[in-house]
Amino acid sequence: MSEELLRIEKVGKRFGKITALQEVNLTFNKAEVVGLVGDNGAGKSTLIKIISGYHTADSGSLYWEGKKVRFRLPKHARNMGIETVYQEQALAPDLTIARNVFMGREPSNALGIMQEKLMEEESMKVLRGLGLRIKSPDQLVKKLSGGQRQGVAIARALYFDAKMVILDEPTIALSVKEVREVLEFVNQLKQKGIAVIFITHNLHHIFSVADRLVVLANGEVMTDVRTENSSVEDMSDIIVKSTLGALV
Amino acid sequence: MNKPLIRSTSYRGINTTVAFVGVVLFFSVFTPNHLFLDSRNLSSIARLAPDLGVVTLGIGMLLIAREFDLSISSIIPICAFIFALLLEAGMYPLAAFFVTLPVGAAMGFLNGVIVVKTGLPSFIITLSTMMFWRGVLFGASRMMPRAIRRYFPANSLLNNAMTMSVGPIPIQILWLLFFTVILGLLLHKHKFGNWIYAVGSNQDAARAMGVNVALVKIVLYTLVGTLCAFAAIMQATRLGSFSATQGARYELQAIAAVVVGGASLRGGVGSIGGILLGLLIVKSLENGLILMRVPVFGVEAFIGIAVILFVILNEYLNRRTE
Repeated sequence: MSEELLRIEKVGKRFGKITALQEVNLTFNKAEVVGLVGDNGAGKSTLIKIISGYHTADSGSLYWEGKKVRFRLPKHARNMGIETVYQEQALAPDLTIARNVFMGREPSNALGIMQEKLMEEESMKVLRGLGLRIKSPDQLVKKLSGGQRQGVAIARALYFDAKMVILDEPTIALSVKEVREVLEFVNQLKQKGIAVIFITHNLHHIFSVADRLVVLANGEVMTDVRTENSSVEDMSDIIVKSTLGALV
Repeated sequence: MNKPLIRSTSYRGINTTVAFVGVVLFFSVFTPNHLFLDSRNLSSIARLAPDLGVVTLGIGMLLIAREFDLSISSIIPICAFIFALLLEAGMYPLAAFFVTLPVGAAMGFLNGVIVVKTGLPSFIITLSTMMFWRGVLFGASRMMPRAIRRYFPANSLLNNAMTMSVGPIPIQILWLLFFTVILGLLLHKHKFGNWIYAVGSNQDAARAMGVNVALVKIVLYTLVGTLCAFAAIMQATRLGSFSATQGARYELQAIAAVVVGGASLRGGVGSIGGILLGLLIVKSLENGLILMRVPVFGVEAFIGIAVILFVILNEYLNRRTE
């Protein structure tokens, strides 16, 4: 079947007395879109922070392309090809699109002078590859719509040869049209063979693009199914019951 | 004009340019006998404005990174004081110059380290260092001026480098233009400049993308300190003396000039051309109003009004183009 990219084995994480994750086992494959859903406090963000190197796991192991890895810093994960796109943290609104795409990694000559032409051409190229229509790479990011901003953040991940892109609530606070744009970006990533972890509260958004759905509750994987074997109703039932189960 | 240059002055830059032209035209017409355009007057502006101007460039870059430095009005006289002491101790003027620069740099570096390590607002931190250094200076100098003219004779190298004229053009304005070009390249063309904007626009994003936020800030504070030392020496050489009130109130005048030049106190916005024009506008207002016989002590009232009008205009244009 599909090729394994990242495998998580018995990963656990505690914060003081609170168990955020307990013995989580998951596999992410190349060019596969996985929807990660669950209520607040279910462990979603702890899980992606471990994958992207912001936290280290207390127990268990990560295997990247079959080899055991340990990410102690975000840099380590990024060097492997894991890019995380956060909604609010991602972009500098006062900078142009091109300068955002290359922020912190500006191509430059020996003196450090930026190669602006290259930056503009390359950012246009990746944006077009995502199906995003932008007038000019010179536009300030603050003048873009929410959907376009997500596109710019995703383009950045794409340009730097990501093998896996983690999208943290990419459709939150977006209009219907913008949500459609973002879902199209996800399809484009999949077409390019990139694995996507799509974190969301909204089951309807994820159903149209995800190959697999993973529900987390109380730091445990409640279910891990292929999208075609499930429905929005089944999934919301699982989320509600697993959350309630914890309360009873 | 090439494209990047236009972009770096953007829409805000255009309105600053219009304002500058307006101010110049106004005073050219309305000053008695068109004194504003008199070559002696222009040359006086070109000789005096760069004292504040050189420092303002650094303050503007710092503001783009969303930080303040109020301590410049203490760093400047301390540097001038140390320069005077070195000359009195018999040091060769040029050597004293090269010893004073790192003193200013070190004071700026200290500001930067405190701001970065405490994470507290730089307004408060540099207010404190301003008061601290001022106390040290007043104690050490007893506020007595020191004549230093005799240490650099009329044709000595330092005197020439700081006070001569190139043809009709005072060298001070050439120094200001020199720093504008160098710092403009850094701000608009160098990747470090992109980090400055990124830090000012969204510090979290910059950090997440691997920009060393602490380094950017410390370098900028150190730059401001170095520019203070340069301005201090340029001014002391022109005046032929050290005075404990050198640089007084520069801390707020610099911010006023930068804001008139279109930079935002919220960071991430501004350009080197705007900063230069902002300075020239403020200095022209000061000069032109005095020529129009506005009482010297009343001039500041007009500058206050001008700053408010500029901020309102910039905010309005900013909102309209968003």
